[in-house]
Amino acid sequence: MLRAQSVLTSLAAAALLVLVGLPVLFILLQAVFPQFARGSFDNAFASLAILTDNDRLLTQARNTLGLAFSVMLGCLIFGLPIGVLRGLFKVPGARVWDVVFLIPFLIPPFIAAIAWMMTLQPRGYLFQLAGFDLGHFLFSFTGVAFVMTLNLFPLVYFAVSRALEMVGGRFASAARVHGARPLQAFFLITLPLSIPAIAASLLIVFAMSIEEFGTPAALASRTGFEVLVTGIYTRLSDWPIDLSGAALGSVILMAMVLAAYILQNWIATRRSYISQTGKPSDLDKADLGPWRWPVLGLFTLVALIGVVIPLAAIGVTSVMGTISGGLNWANFDTRHYEPIFRAGSNAGKALLTSGWLAFMTAFATAIIGGVVAYIVVRGTGRGRVVMDGLSVLPNAIPAIVLAVGIILVWNSPYMPVSLYGTAGILLIAYIGILLPYPIRYAVARLRQISGSLDDAARVAGADQMQALRHIILPLMAPSLIAAMMLVFAIASRELVASIMLAPAGLRTVGTFVFAQFEQGSVQTGMAMSVIAITITSGILLAVNLWLSRQGSSAFSG
Amino acid sequence: MIRTTVFAASLGLAGTLAHADTLTFYTAGPGGLADALAEAFQAETGITVNVFQGTTGQVMARLEAEESNPQADVVVSASWGSAVDMHERGLLMEYMSPNAQAVPDDLKHSHYTAQGISALALVWNTQSDAPRPSEWSDLTDEAYRDLVTMPDPAQSGTAFDLVAGLEAAMGEEAWELLAALADNDMIVPGPNAAALNPVLQGAKAVVFGAVDYISYGQAASGETIEVIVPESGTVIAPRPMIILGSTIQPEAAQQFVDFVLSDAGQELVAATWMMPARADIEGLRPGIDDLAVIEVDEDAVSARRDEIIARFNDTVINR
Repeated sequence: MLRAQSVLTSLAAAALLVLVGLPVLFILLQAVFPQFARGSFDNAFASLAILTDNDRLLTQARNTLGLAFSVMLGCLIFGLPIGVLRGLFKVPGARVWDVVFLIPFLIPPFIAAIAWMMTLQPRGYLFQLAGFDLGHFLFSFTGVAFVMTLNLFPLVYFAVSRALEMVGGRFASAARVHGARPLQAFFLITLPLSIPAIAASLLIVFAMSIEEFGTPAALASRTGFEVLVTGIYTRLSDWPIDLSGAALGSVILMAMVLAAYILQNWIATRRSYISQTGKPSDLDKADLGPWRWPVLGLFTLVALIGVVIPLAAIGVTSVMGTISGGLNWANFDTRHYEPIFRAGSNAGKALLTSGWLAFMTAFATAIIGGVVAYIVVRGTGRGRVVMDGLSVLPNAIPAIVLAVGIILVWNSPYMPVSLYGTAGILLIAYIGILLPYPIRYAVARLRQISGSLDDAARVAGADQMQALRHIILPLMAPSLIAAMMLVFAIASRELVASIMLAPAGLRTVGTFVFAQFEQGSVQTGMAMSVIAITITSGILLAVNLWLSRQGSSAFSG
Repeated sequence: MIRTTVFAASLGLAGTLAHADTLTFYTAGPGGLADALAEAFQAETGITVNVFQGTTGQVMARLEAEESNPQADVVVSASWGSAVDMHERGLLMEYMSPNAQAVPDDLKHSHYTAQGISALALVWNTQSDAPRPSEWSDLTDEAYRDLVTMPDPAQSGTAFDLVAGLEAAMGEEAWELLAALADNDMIVPGPNAAALNPVLQGAKAVVFGAVDYISYGQAASGETIEVIVPESGTVIAPRPMIILGSTIQPEAAQQFVDFVLSDAGQELVAATWMMPARADIEGLRPGIDDLAVIEVDEDAVSARRDEIIARFNDTVINR
């Protein structure tokens, strides 16, 4: 049975190395050796001159950091107040709000940015309805940070409300018993104990805004500032391409995300002892009383800005006969949906392709992630140490960097087989990009499952594999399924790796929509988004309903 | 085990895609045209065509990234110079289609032939408050402050041809014109559609150097825009169609080129509001003879591509 564990360890390690390790290695080599892609190791470090010769890369790095900090701040403003209220008080319709604030995850960021553009720019929907526009606000640094905040603030909302529920319920009651007044309990006990969870969620926001492509791609060219991700994309998608510059930018990007992740991990594991008490807490939330109405007003306002306006702009655009016709009933026309529903249409194929890619990615990442997490938490000896280090790797790799690495690996003269030009390359890219979610979810869950359960099974005569199959796996299932749903949602609309890697003849939802905005019809792009968002939320809702009938909610993981 | 499953899955997919009777076609320009050509060609010959459609910049970048492992058989770019450049680097297969007889001489070469032709124009939103422009230089006027967009020459092959053409016709004055436009807050938001979309909604009033066929099509579908070709002259952008020398199925590739230049293929080209390459096929819009065309020495221009892009970036984008 030790053998079984070491086989599992080597398989998982091999998977991580091929999926993520090789691409990173090739990026580092390309950054150091400019001729590497052509099979030569000449002129080592020559491309480092890009850093000193031209400050574009450094400007992009500065912009990236500035944007990430602003988005963190924005997420605090949008997510913290409602998160605190949701965690400590009986907010009317609490469960409904939880579902509402999941919706931003389902709207592709690129589409959300275009929707905001069509709403706020001069003569946009806001102007057509209210007679004024906010173009100057939108096409600015603040505007880009605003749109990115709206994609990410739910992370803070959910993290804060969960942490406060836990801490506020148990520890604050203890403080109250000892005579603390409510505000005292909040500021002396609840808030300090929740800070690690809040900080950890902010660092995830930070990392995700650093690697975000869709929003800057849609808005940055109008705003006149580039970030690292769009810079790397331009270096690879405009002719002549600059592999070394892209590799160098990727290295900088990786360093930033890795730093954020390590800090996040340090904070998150420091607090883990709190969550392991495992005793069911009888949540005793405070009544809002007359404050109910202003609180509801605040929730409604955030939902309006974060969910309703972008969704409405997407929906409305998809049924406009002409864009110049503007908002009026005479201009209502569903003809832009026709090319999507035509039998055998490319849009239909793109939906199918994204569907099965997302499905396979969800399963593959859940399997690999589950094994990796098991070894990290329960493993023994050297295998555990190696896996602990390797499991950090996928977290540090932004999607665009992985795509660059995959091009370098699978196109290189050193590789015996080439996946480049096949759908397989998209699959391995998606798996590499989305692995962090199942690993993170499964590790967190496993840390909560007491080791005494394994021991009990072993005492009863089960071997390690039987204990894994009959005890650990069923207990891990809810969080793995939650991770799979998240992976499915993100993979079904993945954009940047798909643009760079999709072979000829293969379209995904992301590339189809992107192409519509670059060289097609805006309305058809929006129509496709409406359909994709509807299908994805339908699937997620169905799975969640099924799960809640089984007695557990996927999003409580 | 996990790895082998993933591997086997991807190899299985590789098998279905790299079938012997499939052609790989990389093309700039309207996705609808590429798909229509592929569909009609498959109906006629049974050969499947896998399409990658992007901007000229994306197409050329992909070809370059795949240099050691070429994927494409037939390529259409929106910039004549890119074909000249690839021919000089010895990447192209020689082929003159029998169907190319009616293509004017300056639009065909032993290694590349035009698929269709577009012209560069001003596109004006007729509902905008800005007056109707008639010349390139009109847009430097105060009346157009913050109301002009232009496609990015680094991404759009046609916009590059316009900059090169204006330079050929006007010399240094072309750069002064571009600098004045930049001073007038012209924006360069991306490829053609990205430049046109703000004009459709009315956020901006005019596109400087839009590829004309997209706008003719949008106007025909009811958008309130007008395509205006300056009388001082404009640049035409023939779209070169080439067969890569690395193709492993030259016969199928030649068949495809023949098909694009056949009556049926050229009708599909005309339906996108482009000018067909063959002079004997009627277009839906004004043809070459109706335009004042600025002659551009493509050989000289393509050699200076990096320089022109860099100067454009300094003059307009990173001003």
